[in-house]
Formats: sequence, structure tokens, C-alpha cells
Amino acid sequence: MLLVLSEEQKAHLGCLPRLGGAAVGELGRLAVELLRRGAAPRACEAAARKLNVGVDTIQHGVEGLTYLLTESSKLMISETDFQDSIRVLGFSDELNKLLLQLYLDSRKEIRSVLSELAPKLPSYHSLEWRLDVQLASRSLRQQIKPAVTIKLHLHQNEDQTAQVLQTDPSTLLHLIQQLEQALGEMKTNHCRRIVRNMK
Amino acid sequence: MELSAYAQGGWRLLGDPRRFPRRPYAALLRAAFRSLLDHSHAGLDDPDLKDIDPTVLKHCHAAAATCILEAGKQKADISAISTCLEDCKLDRERIEQFCTEYQKNKDALEILLGSIGRSPLHITDVSWRLEYQIKSNQLHKTYQPSYLVTLNVENSDSGSHPDVSFSCTMEQLQVLLSFVIFSMLGSSCGCNFLTTCQSK
Repeated sequence: MLLVLSEEQKAHLGCLPRLGGAAVGELGRLAVELLRRGAAPRACEAAARKLNVGVDTIQHGVEGLTYLLTESSKLMISETDFQDSIRVLGFSDELNKLLLQLYLDSRKEIRSVLSELAPKLPSYHSLEWRLDVQLASRSLRQQIKPAVTIKLHLHQNEDQTAQVLQTDPSTLLHLIQQLEQALGEMKTNHCRRIVRNMK
Repeated sequence: MELSAYAQGGWRLLGDPRRFPRRPYAALLRAAFRSLLDHSHAGLDDPDLKDIDPTVLKHCHAAAATCILEAGKQKADISAISTCLEDCKLDRERIEQFCTEYQKNKDALEILLGSIGRSPLHITDVSWRLEYQIKSNQLHKTYQPSYLVTLNVENSDSGSHPDVSFSCTMEQLQVLLSFVIFSMLGSSCGCNFLTTCQSK
């Protein structure tokens, strides 16, 4: 799968050959930072001073690189497809190699940033448990009622929530059977066939 | 086992054959057990009770219910119940009648009394769904199995509560399952220990 770059993106990336190899590395770092932490005008200004070019040039370069790296990482394009996609920019082989290396080095991190953007349900974080035995209550004396108290920690949006739940040994046994079935399902021929054919 | 003066007064009326002949006495006992254990059938509209003065009926019903609850709460044995009712001048036949009815309903009564009171949300069941994530608008080729687990929970007060749902990866589900298995092992060890304690 090849990337399609608009004229504007090509123009933004057009400043890279003028800046040189070291600057492209610096701009790549700024692009990954931009994805991770948002826009950083001060970092761009500092880079512009260091490289002795205009702030606009740096910002356009970073935006162009951000698009190139994000889109390639999102689609998980192969090395060959990446090289073929940037060939239209008419850069030197050396710069193309540098961009490819930048893509390969930053792909994992960019994909992890992008995976955080996907819509999410509350997700499992951890679980604590405790075994209790109820011995008496106001309405009934001399009881022996075992109960497992569970504290379930979940991640929801940015927050962590905890729920205190309780269950009895027979329900617990049922939970184990059900969850074992759930895990076993992934090993069935049906699921394995789907997984194999997707890749 | 001790009853309040009001309840003892009610039982004295119940022990008086002139006020409560045999059939109304049996009908009142049935009604008292039913009103506690069977929510759908809580009336005192038995034809055998129609000749009893409603004030007396109410007093005696309260006394019988109090005695049933107190016996259930204390897990009183037959001799404790008998002594208590003998103090209220009940004859042997009536005491035996009460004890028979009590033995019949003892287990249901224990369950009812044990369920009263606050406790954390109780897990009753679990549902799960397995999905394979392929791509999103942000990320392609994710290829990750993912589970959606829903714990059905019950509230001790109202009975219903929104379920607890969460997603987890296969690895997380494995960790979750191992925790649940550990707690199961812990609880079976605990239960064995309790059985030993009980038999000693």
C-alpha cells in the first residue's frame, strides 16, 4: 500500500534536503514529541535558532514529517512501500534512507500513541481478593457463611476506579469454568483460522 | 430464648382454648409462617380465623411472628422453644404443633434471616464475548484478541444493580483467572477448616 501525499504535504517536506541529515533527525524527534505531547512552539523556535533557519520552515518540516510518519505507522506499510511512497519527493538516496530509518525507529512508539486514541471501554487493571467468613449478624447468630471479597480495579478514560464485589464459593467455581471456556475459545479451529487469514 | 411482655401476652391468648380453638390456632400458625416466608401470601384471611376478634388476631399474629423470628435468630432448639412457650401456659399439643411447623420452615427462615443486612455487591454470574480487533480509524492492522467481560451483580437491598463490564486482553484474562483460581483454592481450604471447626 502506497502513501498518497498532497501538494501541500510535498511542499512542507520539500524543505528537508536544504536542512541536511542532522536537521532531519532533529525534526523527526520533534515530530514524535508533537504526537506524544502536543504542539511545542518553543522547541521549534529553539531548533530554528540552532539550525539558523526560519521558524516557519521548521514548523512546516515537522508537520510534513508528522503526517508522513503517522500515516505510514497507522497503515503499518512495509519498508518497500515506504521507499516507493517517498520516491515522488525526489530526494537523494541518502535522505530517503534516513527517512526510512526514522520511520522504522519511531513506528512502534507512534503506533502505541495511536492505539491510545481508539475508543475504549473500561479496561481491566488488577484484582485483589480476600476470604471472609460471616459468623453472625443482627438478624442471624451462629452463621458460617464463606464469602470471597474482590476488589476490581478498572481503567476508565484516564482514571482508575475500584469496585468492591463479593461472591460465594459455588459462584466462584462457575466463574472459573466460564473464564476458562473464554480463554479456550481462542484456541479453537474457528478462531485460529480467522487469526491466520487476517495476517 | 426470651420474648417481650407484649409477645408473651399474645402467646397466652393463643394458649387459651376458649379464644383460640384448635383449628384457628393451626390457621394462625400457618399464616404467621407464610407472612414471613412467602411474600405473595401475607393475609390473615383464612376462613378458620373469621370468628376471632381482629385486635386479638393482630396481637397473636405479632406474637407468633416474633417467636418465629427470635427462634430463627438464636437458632433455638426444640427444648428452648418449649420452655419459652410453657412459660406462656401453652399445652404440650400446641407447643408440639408450633415446633413441627417451625422444623418444617427452619431452613427457609435461616436463609431469609441470613440475607438481611448490608453487604458488598454480590457477583451472581459472568458473561463474556471474544472479539478480534482488526483496525480503527486511528490504527490499522492491530490484530489483537480482546475480551469483553460482564459480571452480573446483585444488590442485597434492592436485588438489582447495573452490571460491571470491562474489556481485557488475553493476557489480562489469564491473570484475572489465576487470581480467581487462587481465591477459590483459598476458599476451599477455608471451608475445609470451617468444617473441621464445626465438627469439633
